[in-house]
Amino acid sequence: MSTRTPNRPTTKKPVQNSANRRRDSAPGNRSAWLRHHRDCASQSLMRLLRSPVSSALTWLVIAISLTLPTLFYLALSSLQAQTEQWQEGGQITLYLEQGLPDSDGDRLTRELDARPEVARAYYISADEAWTSFQETLSINRQALGFTDNPLPASIVVVPSQQNSSQLEALQLIIRGLPEVEDVQLDLAWIDRLNRFLELIYSIVTGLAVLLGVAVLLVVGNTIRLAIESRKDEIRVIKLLGATEAFVRRPFVYLGIWYGLLGGVAAWILVTAVAWWLRSPLTAFLSTYGLEANVAWLGFTDTLVLILASIGVSLAGAHIALQRHLKDAEPR
Amino acid sequence: MIHFDQVSKRYEGGHEALSSISLHIEKGEMVFLTGHSGAGKSTLLKLITRIEKASSGQLRVNGQILNRLRRSQIPHFRRNLGIVHQDHQLLMDQTVYDNVALPLIIAGEHPKDVTRRVRAALDKVGLLEREEYRPIQLSGGEQQRVGIARAVVKKPAILLADEPTGNLDPGLSRDIMELFSEFNRVGTTVLIASHDLGLIARLNYRVASLQDGKLMSTPFEGRRT
Ligand SMILES: Nc1ncnc2c1ncn2[C@@H]1O[C@H](COP(=O)(O)OP(=O)(O)O)[C@@H](O)[C@H]1O
Ligand SMILES: [Mg+2]
Repeated sequence: MSTRTPNRPTTKKPVQNSANRRRDSAPGNRSAWLRHHRDCASQSLMRLLRSPVSSALTWLVIAISLTLPTLFYLALSSLQAQTEQWQEGGQITLYLEQGLPDSDGDRLTRELDARPEVARAYYISADEAWTSFQETLSINRQALGFTDNPLPASIVVVPSQQNSSQLEALQLIIRGLPEVEDVQLDLAWIDRLNRFLELIYSIVTGLAVLLGVAVLLVVGNTIRLAIESRKDEIRVIKLLGATEAFVRRPFVYLGIWYGLLGGVAAWILVTAVAWWLRSPLTAFLSTYGLEANVAWLGFTDTLVLILASIGVSLAGAHIALQRHLKDAEPR
Repeated sequence: MIHFDQVSKRYEGGHEALSSISLHIEKGEMVFLTGHSGAGKSTLLKLITRIEKASSGQLRVNGQILNRLRRSQIPHFRRNLGIVHQDHQLLMDQTVYDNVALPLIIAGEHPKDVTRRVRAALDKVGLLEREEYRPIQLSGGEQQRVGIARAVVKKPAILLADEPTGNLDPGLSRDIMELFSEFNRVGTTVLIASHDLGLIARLNYRVASLQDGKLMSTPFEGRRT
């Protein structure tokens, strides 16, 4: 129990009969309550630090259980950032009618560019297409046997949204344009990738829930052992008039400390692993011509991780107290 | 202060530890409870401290009817009692000071008052110089005196003791009983369970005698003058 008296003056001067001067001085007030919270918090932490090995076992299990889903989450957010980069590949090419004047093509491009669902639209005139075609093949038109340019002008549209229904709507609008001869889509794979990411996301969520339950059980068991080892003490203080809340408080704080330590350790582990994977991942992605974009845990993510850790540990402590405090009634 | 009206206690398993006890202890009285081992002395004290609940009858302590006490009210009720155990029940990993301070900390007393009152209580039992010791470093008699200091530190209305001298030699037992008499003289109601008839006889207080769960006699109060 958190019953040690902190900040006691060390003077050993006997105080003769002074206890008779004043009877009970307003017990159970708010400052006493705050004082007990403060004392419980510091004494639970000291208790935890006094047996570093056994308590480290508990908060390490918490840390590892939280590290796994957090890493997956991090990988997912990295991938999602990556798909935004890949979205460039998800473009629509509109082939315009042969012989459409460049001025009309330019106007149409500007109109499309102004649409909210379009991130970018640029015009490739027939001449430009022809020049670049010849450059690519390193030959000239005479060699190919063409006297005229056989290629049409085109507009490349980069959609701003990945949402498949919005993409389809955009596609319909484009197909309806009278100047457009043909439309070439390169979007299906993005749709598939998104569905795949959604699946992975569900799996990660399920994993997080399972490992959360593991944390709950581990903390619950640790608190159970703590209650067990202090049963006699609990019996004594109950007989001395301790309320249920008073008895529970140090164990509740023990749960909070385990959660906090486990959460912070998880953050360190996640950051270390992300750092460790950074350069091999960059090397791997660059072989596909992609820029690595390994995400870090931001301030909000870190806060959520640590609060979740504390929350689950608190729940574990409450379950243990609910089940095992009954066995420590005075006899 | 303590009023038993036809109180019976039947433990689970069917054994009736107390049968129809009627016993009235007034404010400021000091009473000894005697009887052979297994007579029901501890059970009677456990009913007062609400460790056990009476099976039938009415028990009123310090103005509260215990049968009607809700679970959440028990802690506050217990704060008016000082309880001394045969095996003193001190917390072995804490100092004498911390042990005696327990009831005050539990009641949320201000640290300034705690220090003052703990020292006053330790002074009364003659252990002021031992406040930084651990119970394990003290003799049996000293440990029991720490237990008494803890019981009286909050100046409870009622002081209960279950075989407080059970583990002590006669000389130390007399000292302990003398301590209880002192607390009684300043107005505390005292009830002591003991089977040490020789010691009790010498002290000339009212004696309630239990036999197989029944109260044999409650002779008239014979307070020492
Ligand atoms: N928790 C219990 N459960 C069942 N029987 C008990 C319990 N406590 C005491 N008893 C029985 O009640 C009777 C009275 O016991 P107790 O009050 O401890 O007597 P004393 O203190 O006078 O020796 C004994 O027969 C004892 O076996
Ligand atoms: Mg007994």
